[in-house]
Amino acid sequence: MEPSFLFGQFLGGLTAAMFLFLIASGLSLIFGVLRVLNFAHGSFYMLGAYLAFQFVQWVGPRTEGFWLAALGAACGIAVLGGLVERLLLRHLYGREELYQLLFTYALVLILGDVAKITWGTGQLSVSRPPSLEGSLNLLGVIVPHYNLFIILLGPTIALIFWFVLQRTSVGRIVRAAAQDREMLSSLGANVGMVYTGMFMVGSFLAGLGGALVTPTQSIVPGMDVAIIVEAFIVVVIGGLGSFWGTFLGALIFGQVLSFGILIFPRFSIFAVSALMAVILIVRPWGLLGRPLR
Amino acid sequence: MLHRRMLLAVAGIAALIAPWEAAAQKTIKVGYPMILSGPGALFGEPALKGAQMYVDEINAAGGVLGRKFELIPRDTKGNADEAVRVSRELILKDNVDFLVGTLTSAEGPAVSTIAKENKIVFIAPIPKTDQLTAKANLHPYVFRSASNTTIEGRTAAEIVAKWGLKKIATISPDYAYGQDVTKAFVEHLKKIKPDTEIVDQQWPKLGEADYTPFINAQMAKKPDAVFSSLWGGHFLTFAKQAKPLGYFDAVKYNFIGAGEAASIESARTMGADYPVGIWGNSYDVNNWPGGPPAHKTYIDKLRTYTKQENPSSWPVTGYVAMQFLAEAIKKAGSTDSDKVAKALTGLSIDTPIGKQTLREKDHQANRGQFWGKTVNDPKLGHATMQEVLYIDPAPFMD
Amino acid sequence: MTRPLINRIPWTLIVFLVLLPVPFLGSRFYTFVATDIVILSLFATSLNLLLGTTGLVTFGHAAYFSIGAYTTALLMKNLGFPFLPSWIAGGLMAAGFALVFGFFCVRLTKIYFAMLTLAFAQIVWAICFKWNDVTGGEQGLPNVPYPGLDWMEVLPLIGDLRVSDKFYYVALALVALCYAALRRITLSPFGRVLTVIRDNPERAQFIGVNVRLYELAAFMVSGAFAGLSGALFGIFNRGVFPDFAFWTKSAEPLIMTILGGMAHFWGPAVGAAALILLNQQITSYTEYWPFVLGGVLIVLLFVFPGGIVGTLTKLGRRIGGRDA
Repeated sequence: MEPSFLFGQFLGGLTAAMFLFLIASGLSLIFGVLRVLNFAHGSFYMLGAYLAFQFVQWVGPRTEGFWLAALGAACGIAVLGGLVERLLLRHLYGREELYQLLFTYALVLILGDVAKITWGTGQLSVSRPPSLEGSLNLLGVIVPHYNLFIILLGPTIALIFWFVLQRTSVGRIVRAAAQDREMLSSLGANVGMVYTGMFMVGSFLAGLGGALVTPTQSIVPGMDVAIIVEAFIVVVIGGLGSFWGTFLGALIFGQVLSFGILIFPRFSIFAVSALMAVILIVRPWGLLGRPLR
Repeated sequence: MLHRRMLLAVAGIAALIAPWEAAAQKTIKVGYPMILSGPGALFGEPALKGAQMYVDEINAAGGVLGRKFELIPRDTKGNADEAVRVSRELILKDNVDFLVGTLTSAEGPAVSTIAKENKIVFIAPIPKTDQLTAKANLHPYVFRSASNTTIEGRTAAEIVAKWGLKKIATISPDYAYGQDVTKAFVEHLKKIKPDTEIVDQQWPKLGEADYTPFINAQMAKKPDAVFSSLWGGHFLTFAKQAKPLGYFDAVKYNFIGAGEAASIESARTMGADYPVGIWGNSYDVNNWPGGPPAHKTYIDKLRTYTKQENPSSWPVTGYVAMQFLAEAIKKAGSTDSDKVAKALTGLSIDTPIGKQTLREKDHQANRGQFWGKTVNDPKLGHATMQEVLYIDPAPFMD
Repeated sequence: MTRPLINRIPWTLIVFLVLLPVPFLGSRFYTFVATDIVILSLFATSLNLLLGTTGLVTFGHAAYFSIGAYTTALLMKNLGFPFLPSWIAGGLMAAGFALVFGFFCVRLTKIYFAMLTLAFAQIVWAICFKWNDVTGGEQGLPNVPYPGLDWMEVLPLIGDLRVSDKFYYVALALVALCYAALRRITLSPFGRVLTVIRDNPERAQFIGVNVRLYELAAFMVSGAFAGLSGALFGIFNRGVFPDFAFWTKSAEPLIMTILGGMAHFWGPAVGAAALILLNQQITSYTEYWPFVLGGVLIVLLFVFPGGIVGTLTKLGRRIGGRDA
C-alpha cells in the first residue's frame, strides 16, 4: 500500500471525524451540563441542513452567500433550541430521566414531520461555495478545499471552547454546573440562564453541522435518526460529558470507518459498534470520561 | 374496568371502519405501496405519478369492465418492514383488489410474501433483484414489469466490453439489488471478455452518508473503469463526494452507473455537481429518436399531465405496470385475482416503450433500459444522455 | 399484607376470554389489529418489569425483541424447526444476550444505564443490518413460515378459520401464559424485592439485598419475554427486518408503557392497545402520524404522567373516595 493512499484515507477519516465532532460536541455539552440525552439533537442537525438549503435559495445558489446561509441556519437552530428548553424541557428537570428521554424523542417525531411538511420528502442539494470549489494536491493526495476547511474548522471550534471553558468566568460557571448543580446556585449564578445558554450553544453546533454538511451530502428526511446514533457512539467512546473525549471519540470513529473498510470490507459499521462495545465493557464511562455512577 | 375499556375500544374501531367497507364495491382498488419519503422518493414520487396518469386516462375512458380504478398510495419509507405493514393494511383494511408497487429490492420480495399469502395479484414495477421471481420465490400472483438485475448487469457488461479496458472495479450498495446486479455484470463481462481483471469491489451499506473511504480505497487500486449500482439519492451523495476527490478524472470518466444514474431526476437535482461524461441508464428518455410513435405520444401526454417540458423518467414504470393490470382484467373479464393472475401470465401488450410480454416461465417482462453517455445540455441546464441506446433484453435473459 | 380485591380478580383469564371472539367479528382486519396488540403488549409489559417494577430506564429493549425474532425465524425458516421449540429458543437466546449485556449495564445507574442499554442495542442492530449471510442484512428474512397449525382442524369452530386467525389464537394463548408468568413474578418475593430496589436502592442494599444481582435477574427475565414477544411478532409480520433492532423501535414499548401507565401491571397492555388503535385511526386521515404521536407524548409527559390507567385510578379514587 502506498503511503499517499494511506494519507488520503487518513484525511477522509479526518473530514468525517470533524463533521461528527461538530454534532457530537453539542450533544456532549448538553449532556455534561443538563444531564439530558437529547435525541432531538439529530433533528436540530437535520433542520440546520434544511434551513441552510432554504437560505441558500434566497441568497442565490453557488455564491459566497452560502456562508451567510450556514451561519443563519445555525443561529436559527440555536433560537429554536432556546425556545424548546425555556418553554418545555425546563419543566421536566425535577422528573425522572425517562420523561426527559421521551420528551426529546417526542421532539424527534414532531420535528421530523415539520421538515417533511415544509420541504417535502424529496432530496435537496446544495453546492459548495465557489471559493472552496477546487481541490489541491497535498503530498500526492487530492484534497478538496472544502474538506480542508472542515478539517481546520473542527480543531478551531474545539480550541475556542477549551479557551472559553478554562479561561473565562462563563466557563467556570459552566464547569461548576457540570459538577454540581447546588453549588452553582450557591455561587449566585442564574442556573436557568446557564442551562438555556448551554442548550442554545449545543443546538447551534448541531445546526452548524447540518448546514455545513449540505455541500457533501444530499438533504433527506431520515438523516436525523441516522446521525444521532453516530453522534451517540462518538460521545460514548470518548466519555460522557467530556469535551476532549468527544474530540478523541470523533477522531477514532472517523479513522475506524476509513481504515475499517480495508480490513473488514463489508463490516466497517460493525467495527465501530464493536469498538464501542469493547470500550463500554472496559471503561463504561468512556476513554476520557470520569467514572460516574 | 380494563376489559370494558377494551370492549369499548374494539367496538369503537368497528363502528368507524365498517362504513368504508360497505362503500368499497364500486371501484377497482389498487394498493400502491411506494417510497414517498427519503432518498428513494426521488424515484418513488414520479413512479406514482405515472400510475396515476394511467388511472386518470382509463377512468376518463370509462374504466375497465364498467368500473373505475382507484389508486391508494402508501409510503413504505424505503424499508421492507414498513412495506409489509402498509401492504397488509391495504389488503385487510382498505380491501384493495390488487397490489402494484414497491421500489427497493428489499421491499419487493417482502411484499411478494404477503401477496402470496392473501392470494392477491402483485405487480412489481421497479424492484430488480433476480430473487423476486427466482424459482424458489415465484408464485402465481407475483409479476414484474420492471427490468431485472440479470438484464441490467449484462447489458452494462456489453457496453463496458466495448471500451476495451482491462482493470475493472465495482461499487455497489450492500444489499440484494447491489449484489445481484454486480454479480450479473461481473460474470457476463468475464464471459465475453475473458482478460477482464476485477481489481476492486466496494460495498458501502445502503444509505451510506460518507463514501469518502470507499472512493479513496477504490482509486488506490487504479482501475481503468468502474461499474456502480448506487441509485437515487445514494448516487447523488456519492458523486458529490467523489467529484472533488478527482475520482471521475482518475478513471477518465470510464464510469457506468446502473440504478438509473443517468435519469433526468438525478441529473436535474445535481445540476452542475453532476459528473458529466459518465455513462448511465434510465427507465425512460424524453427524446428517443429510434422509438415507436407510441412513445412520442406518451411523452406528450406526460408533458401535459405533469405540466413540465422535461418530465421525469420514472412515470413509465408505474404507467406500464398499471397498463398490464388493466389489460389483464379486461382479458380475464373479472377482478378475481386468480383469473387476473392467469391472464397476466404470458400476456403481451403494447406499451409506450414497445411490445412487452410477461414471460410464462418466470412472470418477468422483457424490459430493457436506456443507456447512454452523458453530456451537458445547455438548454436544460443539466446533464443528459448524448445518444440513447436501447438494448433489447431478449438475448440476455436466462 | 392482604392483597386488595382488584389483585385477586384473574385479569389475565378475563382478558383472554374477552379477546377470544375477535376472529368471528367479521373482518380479517380486526384479527390483524388484535394480533398486533396482543403481541406488542407483551413487549411493553416485559419492559415494565424493568421500568415500573424495578425502576430501571432502558432504551435498548428492541435488542431482545429482535434477537427473539431473528432466532425463531432462522430456526423455522432455514432449519425447518417446529414452532414451539423455536419460540422457546427465541426467548432463551434473548435471555442469554440480556444476561451478558445486563451484566455490564447494571453496573451503572440512571441515565448512564439507559445509554449503555441503547449502545448495546445499536450493536445488535449493526449485526442484523450487515451480517448478510445469516440475518439477510438490509432485506431481512422475508417469508417466515407460519407454525404448522393443521392439528387445529379438529377443533370445533376454529378448525375452519384462516391460518392468520388460527395464529391469532396461538399468539393469544401463549401471550396469556406469559402474562400469567409475569404476573406471578411481579407478585412473588422476588418481585417485591425489585420494588424495594425501585423505591430505595440504598435501603435494599442495607437490608442485605444484592441489588445488582437482582437487577440483572430482572433484566434477564425482561429480555426473555421481550424475545418471546419478538418471536411471535416475526411470524405475525411474515418477516424479520433489521429495523426491529433500530433505536426508534426501543422507544415504542416505552411510549406504550407511559401511555398506559407504568405504575400498573396492566398499564403497558392498555397503552399498547390504545397506541395501536390510535395509529390505525390517525393513519387513515393523515400520513403525519409521528407528528400526532409526538404531540400526544408531550401532553402525556406534562399533563398525565400516570398514563391512562394511572389517570383513571386517580379519577376513580376521587369519585369513589377510596381505593378502587
